[in-house]
Amino acid sequence: MKIKNKVFITTTSSSTCAGENNKTLFGNICNAKSGIKQNKNYFHGSTPAIGKLCSDNTFHNELLLQCQNILDQSNLKNFEETLLIIGSSVGGMATTEEIYFKTHNYKNIDPNFHHINTIVNVLNKKFDFYDDISFSTACTSSTNAIGYAHEVLSKGLYKHALVVGVDSLSQTTVGGFLTLGVLSSQPCKPFDVSRDGMNVAEAIACVLLESEPSASAVEVCGVGYSSDAYHMTHPHPDGKGAVSAMSKALLMASLKPEQIDYINAHGTGTIANDNAEANAIATLFPHKPYISSTKSITGHTLGAAGALEAIIACMAIEAQTIPKNTFLDVPENNKLNLPVVSFECNIDYVLSNSFAFGGNNCSLIFRKVK
Amino acid sequence: MKINLEILESAYIYAPKEIEDLQTKELVPKMITRRRLTRAAKIAIYLADKVSFGNGRIVYGSSFGELGVTAKILHSIDAKESISPTHFQNSVYNTAVSYLSMLTNNENEIMTIASGDNTSQNVLKAGAIKAMDGDILLLMAIETLDIEKIEEVNHCIDFLECAVALKVKYTEKEATIDMSSLHHTEATPASLFHMLNVAKGMHSNKANIIEVTL
Repeated sequence: MKIKNKVFITTTSSSTCAGENNKTLFGNICNAKSGIKQNKNYFHGSTPAIGKLCSDNTFHNELLLQCQNILDQSNLKNFEETLLIIGSSVGGMATTEEIYFKTHNYKNIDPNFHHINTIVNVLNKKFDFYDDISFSTACTSSTNAIGYAHEVLSKGLYKHALVVGVDSLSQTTVGGFLTLGVLSSQPCKPFDVSRDGMNVAEAIACVLLESEPSASAVEVCGVGYSSDAYHMTHPHPDGKGAVSAMSKALLMASLKPEQIDYINAHGTGTIANDNAEANAIATLFPHKPYISSTKSITGHTLGAAGALEAIIACMAIEAQTIPKNTFLDVPENNKLNLPVVSFECNIDYVLSNSFAFGGNNCSLIFRKVK
Repeated sequence: MKINLEILESAYIYAPKEIEDLQTKELVPKMITRRRLTRAAKIAIYLADKVSFGNGRIVYGSSFGELGVTAKILHSIDAKESISPTHFQNSVYNTAVSYLSMLTNNENEIMTIASGDNTSQNVLKAGAIKAMDGDILLLMAIETLDIEKIEEVNHCIDFLECAVALKVKYTEKEATIDMSSLHHTEATPASLFHMLNVAKGMHSNKANIIEVTL
């Protein structure tokens, strides 16, 4: 089906370990102030470096606050004509753990506050949405949510879409990644030859998408999906699925690779991911666009990462500033252009990557509105 | 807004506890792969075979995801034991369709929706929206709730393993299945209600077309 409408990100709001709002977050990204800290409260005395929200609010109150920010900053009076699209990988797991570890049984666990749809149930207590849908594809959850928002708005099926990328930390998440041997005890060093793993983190990232641009809107002009069909946790070493997702996003946007100015990489800091992603980018982008991973500042926020990094892409376009690769010392792949200082430059197009367990891949392309 | 879908093939299966004879040995000959599969993955492979779906876009749904391995991880942490890496990698909601994609070398877009009781309704909506592009899609929803002591939280579901698959394409023809007249009454998970209703209402002698309201 032909695209009927253009789709714009008009309003955003975020809460992370690196700031309670977008401005602080982007400032910390550009000034190398990481929100990642060692924490021994999550798994049998281990001390991985992880990212907790800075806010003093409870997680659910912070979630409500971030959505209220969207209403306050946008032209909407309410969400009654807005499709709510959640992207989350764990939903209410932290709540389930809290109850189970106290009682050692399931009797007091409310299923409606265990599963992914927990997020919808929390938001519906305060806001009225036209409809809702929740995506859970591990670390691409909210990237796919933005892709779906783009699809329904471009086809003219809904008026507004609010994507909420959200994941809180739980012992299951921290312990699980520890078991896989991919958590670092320091803020991560994506693409560095001496990188030793990732930092899991929590985040809430809200993105309002509409068919009409606002004054500072950024257009979502390309979405590309693919599946590796290779392995549950390891990407194809050549980044085959990543190349496919990025190529499809370029095709939708009618862009040539050399038109991309900046790539916000998935860049988790694990050996396997960064190697595959670097190979994929080097294959598809021989003109060497600027590339950085912002996960050394925010951590890997799992299901929230796609929406959070969409916000970072929008801020890079708005500020016309390339965010640097904090903590990068010696790049492993010399075919990539990985800046170690943030700097102003002309940015028209940004590509943002997200890859997940199960070989689920999604790439988004954002365009500066002139 | 309404979108009509033609149901080209359908299959459903459910049981009070574990569904028997999923033909996993025949469908997944490699033991090393077979051993890693979750219950939902085995069911997904079985249903995809039943509706003859090999390659293409998939919209999958599950309200509770991989409950079996999630519970095992919870028990391990509670007992201060280490977590099985296989359990953790299999705990994400998109596990079942990811294994299916590996076995069929399906490199297409594969979505997973988890919308509580509205899961299969939202799989139909997302599937209908995507089908407007003109391709044939697999829509599938699975719940695997047969875990030890599930009775501590389950007071209404009699069929703990339940699954449905619909192979669909967009059509402009009029609906032939009246969704409002279908009332699947058995105590299967509410999250599968809408798609089970469709699969059970299929005609054997004419085209099966449903109207999906957004």
